[in-house]
Amino acid sequence: MVASEQRQQPKQNQEEASIINRYVGTLVGESTSREFRLAVAHEEIREQDIIGVDAELRQPGNQSSTEKIRIWAKVQRIERLNPLFPSEAGHELAATRTNPFDTVLSLSREMVTAVCQVLGVEPLDGSGGGKLDQLRYPPQPASSAYRPDSSDIARVVVGELQERKNRALDVAWLANRREVDVNVDGHAIVSRHLAILAMTGAGKSWASRRVIEELAAKNYPIVIFDPHGDYTGLADLPELNGRVDRYYARLPIFEQSPETVITIIESLGWKLANTHISKFDDLFKSAFRFISGQDSGKSRRNLEWLSEYLGHSQLLEYRAEPNLYFFADFVQAVVKAARERAERQSEEAKRQRSARGKSKSVENQDGDDHLDQQEDALDKIIELSGYEDLQSIDKKTAGNLEGLPNNLRVAAKRIRQMEDISKRISKATSPLPNERSKLVQYGKISIVALSGYTSDFQATIYSLIASDIFSDRVQNNLKLPVLLVLEEAHNFIPGRANTNAEQNSIATTKQIAQEGRKFGVGLLLISQRPSRLDETTLAMCNSFVIMRMVNPADQNFVRKVIESLGEDEAKLLPDLDKGEAILSGQLINFPVLVKMKPPKSQGEREEKDAFVALEEAYRDNISTSDSRK
Amino acid sequence: MSQNNGQNRRFTEEGVREEIQRQPHIFTKLAENALTVAESLRDNYFKNTAKFVANLRQAVNQYETGKRPEPILEVKSVGDIEWSEVQGEVVTFIDGGLGQVQISSQIPILLRVGSYCVKTGERNISEREQFGYYPVILGDIEGGSKERKDFPDIVRITAELLGGLSALERTPNLGLLMFHGPLVYLMNAYAGHTPFTEKDIDLFLSHYAQDGDLAQRVKDEFLEEAKIEIYPKIAPERADEWTDRKLFEPLSWISFLYRRLVKEAQKRDPVPIIVGVVERGQLREFSEKILLERVFKGLRKNNKENYFNEIYGRTDLKSPKALLDRLAYTDGLLLSMLLSPGQCSEPWHINKYGGLGKGKITLPGESFVSDADWGCLRPSSPISFPKVLGCYVNVSETTEPVRVEVFSELGSKQLEEAARRTYLYARLLPGYGFPVGLDIVDKYAHIPNWMTDAYSKIIRYQLGVSLQRGEINDAEMRRILVQAIYMTKRDWLFRPQA
Ligand SMILES: Nc1ncnc2c1ncn2[C@@H]1O[C@H](COP(=O)(O)OP(=O)(O)OP(=O)(O)O)[C@@H](O)[C@H]1O
Ligand SMILES: [Mg+2]
Repeated sequence: MVASEQRQQPKQNQEEASIINRYVGTLVGESTSREFRLAVAHEEIREQDIIGVDAELRQPGNQSSTEKIRIWAKVQRIERLNPLFPSEAGHELAATRTNPFDTVLSLSREMVTAVCQVLGVEPLDGSGGGKLDQLRYPPQPASSAYRPDSSDIARVVVGELQERKNRALDVAWLANRREVDVNVDGHAIVSRHLAILAMTGAGKSWASRRVIEELAAKNYPIVIFDPHGDYTGLADLPELNGRVDRYYARLPIFEQSPETVITIIESLGWKLANTHISKFDDLFKSAFRFISGQDSGKSRRNLEWLSEYLGHSQLLEYRAEPNLYFFADFVQAVVKAARERAERQSEEAKRQRSARGKSKSVENQDGDDHLDQQEDALDKIIELSGYEDLQSIDKKTAGNLEGLPNNLRVAAKRIRQMEDISKRISKATSPLPNERSKLVQYGKISIVALSGYTSDFQATIYSLIASDIFSDRVQNNLKLPVLLVLEEAHNFIPGRANTNAEQNSIATTKQIAQEGRKFGVGLLLISQRPSRLDETTLAMCNSFVIMRMVNPADQNFVRKVIESLGEDEAKLLPDLDKGEAILSGQLINFPVLVKMKPPKSQGEREEKDAFVALEEAYRDNISTSDSRK
Repeated sequence: MSQNNGQNRRFTEEGVREEIQRQPHIFTKLAENALTVAESLRDNYFKNTAKFVANLRQAVNQYETGKRPEPILEVKSVGDIEWSEVQGEVVTFIDGGLGQVQISSQIPILLRVGSYCVKTGERNISEREQFGYYPVILGDIEGGSKERKDFPDIVRITAELLGGLSALERTPNLGLLMFHGPLVYLMNAYAGHTPFTEKDIDLFLSHYAQDGDLAQRVKDEFLEEAKIEIYPKIAPERADEWTDRKLFEPLSWISFLYRRLVKEAQKRDPVPIIVGVVERGQLREFSEKILLERVFKGLRKNNKENYFNEIYGRTDLKSPKALLDRLAYTDGLLLSMLLSPGQCSEPWHINKYGGLGKGKITLPGESFVSDADWGCLRPSSPISFPKVLGCYVNVSETTEPVRVEVFSELGSKQLEEAARRTYLYARLLPGYGFPVGLDIVDKYAHIPNWMTDAYSKIIRYQLGVSLQRGEINDAEMRRILVQAIYMTKRDWLFRPQA
């Protein structure tokens, strides 16, 4: 070793000189192949800094051939200690209110030690292409650590990604070295799910918009479930012109299965009675047939009949749509018709009984004829809908069903209200396509606006769409892969389901999380309350963007679920700035602290200064009332 | 009234006993003593001690209140000092420590002297504090008698003294120089060590002198003085040989450095205070020569020669020495019961040089002994050690008094000012009762346990940085230090060379 040192003297000197310029500290104490400690000068280094230590690796058993390597490491934590300041003296100073500077106490001798985690090694000349190998032998004590060049850092942060540029998403800078771009692996994100977790206001939506914009630039199909209108601004980007479709969530209920409709109705707050549920199928199917004939003239005629039968003409004007209002009317008609029939039948029976008591009468016969000629409404409904099973609705069933139309109308009203709000907030003009796989298109982003709906309804809509898309992928009806973006994910996939709607959406999401990779359905989950998220789903995300987080429960949860997140990184979370994030998992070579690049698009409700907003609103108000005059 | 009562209780046997029981450091000391004194003294040791102390207190009080013409013990207050009085003062603390390595026995390997210089009130950290750290590897020293157990001590004494001297020389406005330990050791114990060689002295001086010229001057001055005055007196037979071989006989060299320190201080105006502070000293000289001497004198005057024999039920307690021998009292123990916190005892000249006289010495490279006589180094002559004045300061209820030592040549105010500052600095560590600056430099210089002690971290850190910056360029030194810093205890000393 001595000999080889001498041989390489001149070159070594050069290298040494440049290393001293970038010198950050000296390895002290015991080192292992996973961790070492650096004695550093005050404020020379920061947590999460990436540093290098050069070393020589000898081939085992071959003394002569050595390989020059660079050990990459990350500063995990910095320990600062003034061992010369006795705490007893501190108490004494406090008790006597003495300024330590006025005494002979020492205040200068702080020891700063950086604890560094080994990230891996590569050949010193950078020929490894950014791929880091496992270090198998501890670095030598008393080695110098230095600040690597930006280009070298960029290379290892990106890792093997640089050979697959088509996968790289340009989403961040290294937090401590802003000149270093951090690219992440888009493939890992779309195929193995990404979670963006942070407290409110930390920059989650900005981060996800950045990711989405980068994916959109690669034409990846994306469906966004947007409960707050955070993504409407995407449509305004020139480069996404014509490629962003916004939908408000109106559910054409007659295209749902009866069970789904039950779910929706129940999600709005009513549990349906068993008697309602047992006939629901028949009623729903017949109502559907009633209104959806092949020729529109026929369904119009059916509606005219219904309107006349129920005696309100509004039906034709306002409810000519196949929605819950119509369904309510239809059920009401069935109930009415079944009742009338039952009444008639009992009158008939009465009459027959009295006729048997007297004798046969022609008039009575005539009367019978007359009654027969008066049309049986239930038969008519069955005729118009072509659904024989309605015959089974007898008097008793009709009685049980009496409350259903009202229930349906209340639900219909709430849905209508929500739709209205949704339409207004999302500024979306088109309702969701019935064939939901249409949301998935090459180079397009579909935003499903969920604002205005209750969280249950949101969950319902989400799980209907997500499971449709997923099963279309499974059955290969849908050719394109897709990324599903779920904001406020804790509302859709909570750790504990309280409602049917939540149960469904958890089940759907879990399935996608588990099998999505096989079928090209990726998830991007965003949440401000990670500890309320379903643990198994979160654990199946392979990539994470974690931003500022102060709630201890959330911190613990995140620490527990995310294997790639170290303890020291977890400790940083409460101190992160807006937009700062720890990237960890498969999207990156090793966990790094970054500053996310801002997205190009604007959010719908970027936070404004409350007082500025007030003044603006006031001025607007004055000008509009002026113009009215 | 209760105050008055309390005051009076101080002077009663019961009062003293109660007090002692409240002060564990005194109590345990007495309990220990009780086991070592003769059996006949053991039974009432505690009670009798309390009685004796109560009587002493009464006597001290009688003098203070004019009821007694002759003092037993003059007590002064030093407790009224405030930090505001010493703002802007530049103070240097010096301490040496040994690095030991556990192999089969403790072998000292490395000696280090630390210095900590601080300017009170200075807000700018880099102006405020300077630390110095000087390692000496014992194996590098040719002189000194390595077979003697006190070999590391003689090296440490020399190194500390050089550390103090260089602190004084490089700090023109130094107000106080404080050593951890005696200002001067009991020198007779160190007589007879093989002289240091010039190479040794160069090694010492390489750390202490700022420039080579100064080092050369210090050496030349000593060798000149040794040739003309010292060696002819110490070794009349072989003085020429000593001079020719440029030997640095340790006591001559050390006394030269002390004198240099005193001379340098005398040049300054105001004269800096130079002080050594001793904790847990075993000295009983003050009790013997001052305190009990007066007590016996008084007893004789009042025809109560048998006072102690009566208390302790014996016949042989006839002199201070006999009393101390039999009862195992020390200065620290007696004064901890006589001084209150913030008080100091009266000054006395400490006999540091008793026994200095004829002895034997072996020169480097020789295997036989020759004669030497160190008598000439006793005060007061132009080539002798300086005289040392001392007193005890009680810092807190819970700790034994510390001994403060100064050079009497530096003026009459030195001791009191030294005692006041000792008290002030020690108040910051009431549980330890020792000046905080010395605690700081002790931690800084001391490596009690290489790998585990938290404080060794800072040393390793400092050495690491010095190595990195190329401040230590001797290749062998670097190698040893790197090993010393980084290897675990067992293998670093005898590690095969890489
Ligand atoms: N990368 C960034 N760089 C600079 N500022 C940012 C960045 N990310 C976010 N911010 C700032 O933080 C604000 C909040 O960001 P964002 O709306 O993304 O937070 P959020 O975590 O989604 O909050 P919420 O929980 O309310 O949805 C933004 O309006 C912006 O001012
Ligand atoms: Mg948001």
